[in-house]
Amino acid sequence: MKKILVLFVAFLISACAAVKPWEREKLADPIMEPQSQFAKQKLDDKFFSSREGSMGGTGGIGGGCGCAK
Amino acid sequence: MCGTKFLRIIFIILLVICIQLSPVFSQDNDKISYTTYYFNDSGNNSVITTSFSLAKMIISGTAILLDIELDKVSLPPIDGSTGATRPARRKDKTFEKNRGQVILGFEQTITSTTSLAVNAYRSQEIDYLSNAAVVTLSQEMFQRNTTITLRAQYNDDKVGELLETGSLHNESKTTITGAAAISQILSASTVFDLSYDYMLLKGFLNDPYRKVQVFDANNAFQLLSENHPDKRLRQAVSAKISQYVDPVKASLIGSYRYYFDDWDVKSHTAEFRFNKYVFDDFILGFNYRYYTQTGAEFFQDRYALMANPLEQFRTADYKLNPFNSNTFGFNFRFLFRKFAENNPGWEFLSKSSFEIMYLRYTNDLDFSANIIQGSLNFAI
Repeated sequence: MKKILVLFVAFLISACAAVKPWEREKLADPIMEPQSQFAKQKLDDKFFSSREGSMGGTGGIGGGCGCAK
Repeated sequence: MCGTKFLRIIFIILLVICIQLSPVFSQDNDKISYTTYYFNDSGNNSVITTSFSLAKMIISGTAILLDIELDKVSLPPIDGSTGATRPARRKDKTFEKNRGQVILGFEQTITSTTSLAVNAYRSQEIDYLSNAAVVTLSQEMFQRNTTITLRAQYNDDKVGELLETGSLHNESKTTITGAAAISQILSASTVFDLSYDYMLLKGFLNDPYRKVQVFDANNAFQLLSENHPDKRLRQAVSAKISQYVDPVKASLIGSYRYYFDDWDVKSHTAEFRFNKYVFDDFILGFNYRYYTQTGAEFFQDRYALMANPLEQFRTADYKLNPFNSNTFGFNFRFLFRKFAENNPGWEFLSKSSFEIMYLRYTNDLDFSANIIQGSLNFAI
């Protein structure tokens, strides 16, 4: 499983043509949610992790609070 | 209590200072955001959260991050539910408490493609204290088309129980977290993210307030304290793809997470988000999230009394039940781009936005919740 994952990531990286900085306008567009990311991480960390049995995958810092017991 | 009042005052002062000074001291990628959300659920629990975040370059190559969050939590009187997670003291009254959280960090650019961030985290409420240290290393590669991020975090928590006498009894819990993520630009309109999280928790992993009904051979029951194992290894793998759909000026964002731990809880989370420009500066978004999990190996609907109750793992935590959930939501985002262009003196708002979001959460354990969140973001 781990070997498949490493090979997949290597394939992904090697198969991509480099996108120049001036070609990344769409990726930085607010519609791609670059700015909302932090607020969404907070919500995921605070609400879902305190109401469900799973954690992680959000990239957020923290997790230590009475809500997550 | 004094700690959260102090944080509120600092919060307001910082917000006012930063908004006043932002046009003067702004640098590229400096960000200020103010977020508030309100949550209430079918158990009559409610939380009002207010947070303030500041990311600012202080000298060339060094940025400071400050994040302050304040919660006001309200928990209803206990009506006999053993799963209630609040003090039994004054159980016929609503229990209210405040929580204050601070994250202070520095990010240092080491090379043009490498940065290192160090953060300190503290969360304090009347019956829970958490301190954490976080180190994050980011490396850009392949003409900045690939970003690899490694994060290590150590949490030292005090899990408190407010007793009937009003005194506080504390137990300890530690968490070691390691995370690795890769973000890959696939094309001018597509980004792929992959991440892996590892968490090792040790110590007191129970909720001191929760009681479990344990039945004897005569069907009479006792209320015993929850008893979880003192170690838990949690792991999650997640993937996300973000696609800009040019012809209709919209985006599709799909993500999936697989979670598993050594208590035998496994879960799948799938989320789908759709955002579209309705007008030039107005974005309407919809999202749907599906979640399903198995139960912990020691979870039971009904516990039988064992010869030695101390040896029995038992839980009243509904989060260790098997269940499914659905979350539906929509959001509005207003960008200040045109306003900044058309109003001299307000150019600093050109990358700023206001967002409001509503989520409706339901699961098949008869639990539901409403979440309303508003954010004001200044990217200057």
